Amino acid sequence: MTNTEALLEKFIEKAETEQTSCIKIDKEAFKNILREQNFDFVNLNTPFKSFNKGCEFDEAGIKNAIVGADFAIAETGTSVIDSTDEKIRLATTLAENLFIALHSSNIVAKLENIVSYMNEKNSADNAYLAFITGPSRTADIERVLTIGVHGPVSLTCYIIQDL
Amino acid sequence: MKIKQAVKKKLNDKILYTNLKNFASNYKLSRQNALSGLDFLKLRNDIYKSKDFSKEEILALFEEFKQHVEKSGCTVLHAEDGLAANRLITQICKKHNAEYVVKSKSMTSEEIKLNHYLEKQGLKPIETDLGEWILQIAGEHPSHMVMPAIHKTRQQVAKIFEKHTGEKIDPDDIDKMVKIARKYLREYYFKATVGITGANIAVASTGTIGIVTNEGNARLSSTVPPVHIVLVGYEKLVKNFSDAMKIIRLLPKSATGQNISTYVTWIKGSNPSFKSDTGNKHTYYIFLDNGRLSFFEHPFLKDALKCIRCGSCANVCPAYEMVGGHVFGDIYIGAIGLILTSMLHDEKKAKEILTLCIGCKACSFNCPAGIDLQSIISDLNVYMGKKYFINPVKKFVYSAVMKNPSVFKTAMKAAAFIQKPMLTETKENLKNLPYIPKEHNFRKLPSIKTKTFSELFKEKKLDEFKSSKKVFFYPGCAVEYFFPEIGVSMVELLQKTGYQVDIPKTQVCCGLPAIHAGDGQSGKKTILKNIKYMGNPDEYEAFLVLCPSCGMAIKEDFKKYTLDYIAEFKKSEKIGKKVMSFANFLKIQNIGFQCDGNIKYTYHTPCHQGRGLGFMPEEFLKEIFGQNFIPLKDSDVCCGFGGSFSVDYPGISSGILDKKIENILNTKADCLLTDCPGCIMQIDGGLKQKGINVKVKHLSQILNDLKMIKN
Ligand code: SF4
Ligand code: SF4
Repeated sequence: MTNTEALLEKFIEKAETEQTSCIKIDKEAFKNILREQNFDFVNLNTPFKSFNKGCEFDEAGIKNAIVGADFAIAETGTSVIDSTDEKIRLATTLAENLFIALHSSNIVAKLENIVSYMNEKNSADNAYLAFITGPSRTADIERVLTIGVHGPVSLTCYIIQDL
Repeated sequence: MKIKQAVKKKLNDKILYTNLKNFASNYKLSRQNALSGLDFLKLRNDIYKSKDFSKEEILALFEEFKQHVEKSGCTVLHAEDGLAANRLITQICKKHNAEYVVKSKSMTSEEIKLNHYLEKQGLKPIETDLGEWILQIAGEHPSHMVMPAIHKTRQQVAKIFEKHTGEKIDPDDIDKMVKIARKYLREYYFKATVGITGANIAVASTGTIGIVTNEGNARLSSTVPPVHIVLVGYEKLVKNFSDAMKIIRLLPKSATGQNISTYVTWIKGSNPSFKSDTGNKHTYYIFLDNGRLSFFEHPFLKDALKCIRCGSCANVCPAYEMVGGHVFGDIYIGAIGLILTSMLHDEKKAKEILTLCIGCKACSFNCPAGIDLQSIISDLNVYMGKKYFINPVKKFVYSAVMKNPSVFKTAMKAAAFIQKPMLTETKENLKNLPYIPKEHNFRKLPSIKTKTFSELFKEKKLDEFKSSKKVFFYPGCAVEYFFPEIGVSMVELLQKTGYQVDIPKTQVCCGLPAIHAGDGQSGKKTILKNIKYMGNPDEYEAFLVLCPSCGMAIKEDFKKYTLDYIAEFKKSEKIGKKVMSFANFLKIQNIGFQCDGNIKYTYHTPCHQGRGLGFMPEEFLKEIFGQNFIPLKDSDVCCGFGGSFSVDYPGISSGILDKKIENILNTKADCLLTDCPGCIMQIDGGLKQKGINVKVKHLSQILNDLKMIKN
């Protein structure tokens, strides 16, 4: 197994223990998904930028949203999403079902590997960055793990294989 | 005494008992899993070092942070104390014409009782963390830093929700309850003009805060309303992202045993906001002092400012597990709660609750920030003892009796005589004492033996064995007066291996009981005498103890209490390096044993054995007993003895003991081995009182009967 494959497997293992569904997919198949699934909100980078679309946000929330992650961290199964754009923040907090697209080449091993990215992003005057690991959860009632207390009730990661 | 009543009430709360007990045992497992493969000691040392700031340094970090966030038009404010912070927050809310304020869980806002203040000013703060919201609508306070409503059952929560919403709720449908909270709280994010959050970390190098949550409510509170107020204590500042990531790595693992929490949100400056008149969020940072800044200069309280608020010092605390956070702490709970109550709140209240610490050190060894909580608690106890009064009976015992070896000996001799009519048939124990309250009779106490260890040592001519290989043995009060036979076994065994064993000319208490009770003066005098009577450290290969608590006192407290005495300090430093438990010595000497019997053994690790002297003999015992050794669940959790603690709080002590006994019974072992006479007193006494036929022995007694193999 190459190092990248190992990181990918590790990421999937960790993300799945945090109730995240992981789907490995190639570019073309992913484009098909974007065509078929009628996401309320799409915010992705090239080569999927043409699918981007916005929506209105109110307390009713939205059904689903898909956003791109800049990085993913294998040791914790975490996606790193630049949410400085307010729409991304609203979409990722208010969607019932959240989908994240990430490139397998952007998976790093550890939290420490994300430090230079954090420094770079935070060199701007303002920034809002999110580490997301699984759907919104609570264990506040008798410590029973319950999903979807404020934010998404499900999280799906599309891992686009670009290597 | 108010505290004793509060304790009694909590001890009778069966719901609390079950919830905390289940939580504690699950927590230990998931934490272990989350930490597997990591170098915990290194990581926590890194965090400790990265948070080790002087007052000047923290103020410099604050300036650095401020500069960065002001660039995008945010306001950074300093709040001298809770009232100042409350006023500032109210002013901001009024300035933006807020009615509703959504709050994401923040201990700092609990600290300053923010909700109460806002409500008085006509504002409507809504807690959005599920646990906090349950407590808010029930009119209660959190009992845990991470799981605020851990003391509530699903049935209770269902009732609270029914009352609040008017809907009928099935008490077993937790999913439904969570959905209701989701529905109710969602609308408030949109109604609110202001969102208030805390911050787990403030990164000075960029001016970014980090917020750790599972529910995602901090994300909503910091996104939807047009105004964001961040309330943060100065101690949350770190230098840079490398340091921040270390905290992110250990915090959730320690807090809940999760690998990472669902959301870590990093916010810098003023971000876009469609609800804001300017198109950008109005963002305010309020840095709370409330005493913190001066404590950066305090000799022993300074370390408490390194706390990352994971709450795990409560999760592992056996005393907390019995009474919960409404008693064990004030606003902040658990071990750190005892300390922060002194620092940030009421000193008198702190003085009372500090006595709830049994001194087991579990918190210190567990803290991801490397804070030696138990030692701070012990120092605080001594401080309180000096400032307020110490129970006069105790004071008399520590100052007039225990520190004077001859008086102590006479007193014990007299007691040995007086106890005669109260002895059981075997003369090993006392009968249930008729004139003391029933709750103290949860164990059969050992009798004071008519011959002390030192007398037996002479009588059996153990002092005549001479050899060039020498060790020094410090018996401690328990071996001297209650369990002399344990000491004899050890000396005999060592002599078989060719070692000469010397003992102190005069037996003095190690000083720990006095220190623990807050009588630092007597502790110090006792220690100085001890050092005088102990042999020259250069002559001995090791200083052995059979009581790990004495060992820990010699290792840690002797140095601490001789700081003003150069020669004594030097001697205690040398002795401290050589002090070890008996089993550890055997291991180092490569001495093994052979056991053919069919008796099943298990082992209880005394608190100050594993955590004080740093040696766990389990592997060693497995080699000796093979299949017949059965590991004990939660072996290193305290047995509830804690010296005079078990007399002050018999309810807590016996509760802790009951859990230990349950685990012992589950091993189906015939004999429990341990390394501490105090633990024997407690566990053997408890088993005998319950009529359970499991033998309790000190390691030295069993090993002396086995065939020795020199490897
Ligand atoms: S003192 Fe240590 S264990 Fe306790 S809450 Fe703080 S960081 Fe956690
Ligand atoms: S030393 Fe033990 S009893 Fe005392 S606070 Fe720490 S964990 Fe609790």
